[in-house]
Amino acid sequence: MIEFRNVKKVYPNGTVALGGVNLRVEDGEFVFVVGHSGAGKTTLMKLLLREEKLTSGRLMVNDYDLTKLSRFRVPFYRRELGVVFQDFRLFPNKTVFENVAFAMQVVGTPPRMIRRRVPAILNTVNLADKQKNFPNELSGGEQQRVALARALANNPKIILADEPTGNIDPQMSLEIMNLLVKINRLGKTVIVVTHEQSLVDYYQQRVVTLSEGRITEDRVGGMFE
Amino acid sequence: MKHYSIGYFLGQGFKGIWRNGVMSVASIAVLMSCLVVLGGFSLLVYNIDVNLEEFGLLNEIVVFVDRDASEEEIAAVGEKIASLDNVAAVRRTTRAEALEEMKHQSEEYAHLYDDITPEENPLSDSFTVTYKDNDDVITLAYLLGQIEGVRKVVNRLDLAVKISSFKRGVQLVFSWFLVILFVVSLFVIINTIKLSVFSRRGEISIMRYVGATGWFITLPFLIEGVVIGLFSSAAAFFVEKFFYRYIEAIVASDLQMISVVHFDAVQTIVFWSFLGVGVLAGIVGSSISLGKYLEA
Repeated sequence: MIEFRNVKKVYPNGTVALGGVNLRVEDGEFVFVVGHSGAGKTTLMKLLLREEKLTSGRLMVNDYDLTKLSRFRVPFYRRELGVVFQDFRLFPNKTVFENVAFAMQVVGTPPRMIRRRVPAILNTVNLADKQKNFPNELSGGEQQRVALARALANNPKIILADEPTGNIDPQMSLEIMNLLVKINRLGKTVIVVTHEQSLVDYYQQRVVTLSEGRITEDRVGGMFE
Repeated sequence: MKHYSIGYFLGQGFKGIWRNGVMSVASIAVLMSCLVVLGGFSLLVYNIDVNLEEFGLLNEIVVFVDRDASEEEIAAVGEKIASLDNVAAVRRTTRAEALEEMKHQSEEYAHLYDDITPEENPLSDSFTVTYKDNDDVITLAYLLGQIEGVRKVVNRLDLAVKISSFKRGVQLVFSWFLVILFVVSLFVIINTIKLSVFSRRGEISIMRYVGATGWFITLPFLIEGVVIGLFSSAAAFFVEKFFYRYIEAIVASDLQMISVVHFDAVQTIVFWSFLGVGVLAGIVGSSISLGKYLEA
């Protein structure tokens, strides 16, 4: 469960990025966060990733109270999340298998378990036959699927996707979104930050609209306004 | 940290060195130079000490007895000298022994001494006095001069003072040199590690997002610093050994009055000192450049 209670974020230069956000996302929900540039979407993601600390209010993610989280516990909190970015952020010098394995290695997973789990995850994202390829040998959509596999590697409860279809063509975008929906059906909470109206309208999920740092609309089965 | 991560950390540390080839070589070269200079100065000071000890310059006074003193009078002077405070040992050299020594020192003209009969020997008996405390040596020299039957007191205090001040000068220059070189080495290592961190910033950001701890992220860079220190120490040891042996050979052939300590006698301490300073510089350098990365 994710809960924002009157969360405010003011940057040191005085910019009010979030001006009192109240939002509750239950376990297993699928939520689109939409809004124009500067609406506060990126700040919302940064707060969830604990890249930034909130200025006031309260933010709870599962059992973690991000308001009080010490910096030593941040890495352990982040293991509850799987993150996907617009620019994929894959290692060009690692194979598909190694890119996914890396996320597991980082948290100290034994090699034996890595060897067993990575092919299974790659199978989930339909990349079982590409595990020896390097990212530059893959299409944009395939690279994003590798990023998605990496996000799933440590079996997180929440998947955060920041503009996951921003760098890929419409056909591939649908593929990625279908995968995110599939992952959601497996019981994971999925939050997708996007400004792609057609996708949001097509999937008819819960849509939270941000404008000037505030939630202006929160509708299930909503459309992009 | 789990055991299966050790290979990963070591691998990443060495990869970092390889990846920043030029900067790594620069770091190793500068730190190595620092260590070679450190070792060079230390060995110079050590050799000065050894030579001073060998020459007995610092703690010996020679007391000459009147030329016409009888054997009893000479023995009495010897006893009086031995009874003084601050005297560690007294060694007598008879006038005959002194003449022999003179002959020996100027071998080419030895025949000139052949005609001198014991009665004609112009030299006098002497006592070589070894003292305990350097600070009271002036008092001792005065007291020796006051003993009846003593003709002359010779001390080489002036020379000892000159050598001591030379040694202090060397130590002072050496200390400043060392500080400057150490700081330069640290800066080069800091820059190398920063470059390494910069080239891996993408990797570091992904590590953070997937929940890597600060230690997991920074340990490979620390290892990189330590490896730079290790390589520098090893290189410095061999360079020092080469130069020292070269100088040792020159001194042995051209400056025979100076004795040089064999490198084999000091190589263990040189090796461990280099290793200690090298690794310390590596750890300090990388820790300074990594401070903020330890935070999540």
